[in-house]
Amino acid sequence: MSLRIIKSGLQTTIQDGGRPGNLRWGLACGGAADTFAMALGNLLLGNPRSHPCLEVTLTGPEIEFTCDVSIAVTGARFDLALNHQAVANDAVIRVHAGDRLRFGPLRSGARAYIALAGEIQLPPTLDSLSTHVIAGFGGLHGRPLQAGDRIPLNQCRQESARQLPPAYRLDYSTRPLLRVVSGLEARHFSDDTLARFYQGGFTVSPQSNRMGIRLAGEPLPVKGIPQQVSSALCPGTVQVPPNGLPIISFVEGQTIGGYPRIAHVISADLHRLGQLVATARLDFELVDQAAAHRILVGKSRLLAELPSRL
Amino acid sequence: MLTGPGFELRTNGDAALDIRFAADPSEMLSEHIIALAEAIESCEQLPSITELVPAYQCLTVCYDPLRLPRCEAGAPDTALLEQKLLTLTEQVLAQSVPARGTHHLIRIPVCYDEKYAPDMQVLCESSGLTADEIIRRHTAPHYLVHMLGFTPGFLYLGGLEESLHCPRKARPELQVPAGSVGIGGAQTGIYPQATPGGWQLIGRTPLALFRPLQEPAFIARPLDRIQFVAISAAEFSAIDPMSPPEKVPLVSDSNSGDGR
Repeated sequence: MSLRIIKSGLQTTIQDGGRPGNLRWGLACGGAADTFAMALGNLLLGNPRSHPCLEVTLTGPEIEFTCDVSIAVTGARFDLALNHQAVANDAVIRVHAGDRLRFGPLRSGARAYIALAGEIQLPPTLDSLSTHVIAGFGGLHGRPLQAGDRIPLNQCRQESARQLPPAYRLDYSTRPLLRVVSGLEARHFSDDTLARFYQGGFTVSPQSNRMGIRLAGEPLPVKGIPQQVSSALCPGTVQVPPNGLPIISFVEGQTIGGYPRIAHVISADLHRLGQLVATARLDFELVDQAAAHRILVGKSRLLAELPSRL
Repeated sequence: MLTGPGFELRTNGDAALDIRFAADPSEMLSEHIIALAEAIESCEQLPSITELVPAYQCLTVCYDPLRLPRCEAGAPDTALLEQKLLTLTEQVLAQSVPARGTHHLIRIPVCYDEKYAPDMQVLCESSGLTADEIIRRHTAPHYLVHMLGFTPGFLYLGGLEESLHCPRKARPELQVPAGSVGIGGAQTGIYPQATPGGWQLIGRTPLALFRPLQEPAFIARPLDRIQFVAISAAEFSAIDPMSPPEKVPLVSDSNSGDGR
């Protein structure tokens, strides 16, 4: 029983919740770039939220199944077909041995998740199946999937047909808004510079990857901002390097940094970084820590309630 | 922001607190920071903590806001966590000599041959020293591991001799080979992975610094000491990258820095 990769897509990887607890060794958590979308797919199938799945980036794969298994595709909206028959996002898809899942054009978002009602039979590395793309380990052979790869599956199940309630169907087509709390070094930036940062003048650069989301636009002035002694850099931190173009630390980001930090994306919105596409214009909205925590509690509750609403 | 004598507690995003120390980076401060990390880790009253990341002058404490105690309105409350961190930090700083664990001297073989040292000439010019003398001075110290970070297994080392300080490249290389040993400003270190990098490269180690399939996956811990040992290109090729550093046969110190 396995998945056979017919076409790989741009960057299709095995992901789960990553490897938390290793920042002190220089190893970022990694894992799914959009943990919320991954959780939705897994919950649809009755899996734990971070059950290993496939992460699809921008251009989707073509996959042949050699067993009967239910799957669900969540996150970015692609046109999906099972043996040339259109199938729905955000719903259980009952796949039979010999079926082929094809990803068509991307309609919105950047990353989709193929959740599986079965177990990927690969040895974990540092307690996770996640592919760490930058450091080249985990997943299958430590790299994105290639045509011809076989991913062994077992304990495959069929689940009954169900779909996400409308409240859980995220819309990625609108202009992305990231909520942030004030940065550790924000006080070093002038009011004018901060105002410009929050005015929505930046777009996502095509040079972004799982390490960092690079922003493009009119550079922010950084002259006179004191050099920082290197210290821990958490995911979602927005640094302003000497060229004045902010970088948002992402799932496989560096763990220590020294550029001034203008803002930090709130924990509840980190998953949205996974759906940013190049050239998208971004808005940042400043909230305080209490609000950031309230939003996180709300999102966590939404996920906790999902199984009872399916 | 809470402050105590010699430190302050600051929020680093909505899921981390920085304990930042006023003292300059030093061995003593790093010992305090590691002792504090161990004290926090063994404190059973802090279940919300997810990561502890030491740095030169800072210990970052990451937490899961969902595992904090809730205030009456149901919102996560950081007050208890902050208070506990404040107390623990004061306690650790009050110890004149922090409790020491076992720390090791790890000898890392480095080939300083031309083919692995594309920027040796730059360093000769900036320092006014010969390559042999640079190698001698680079292999002499027992460098202190202040912390790991940046990429998996990268060691932040203290103790580079001042005569070897050298500015970084104006334009970083797009791809530096894994194992490259370089100097950037007042720092020296090894690139664990093939990544972009702006340091002047003066050698390369055959050893892998990050070994995800081994236990432990990293060859050094904070407060360990590192010494570079010069090896020939033939020795470089003979060393298994995954062998434990203590198992690598190295010639005696007197032979290091002989200009190979």
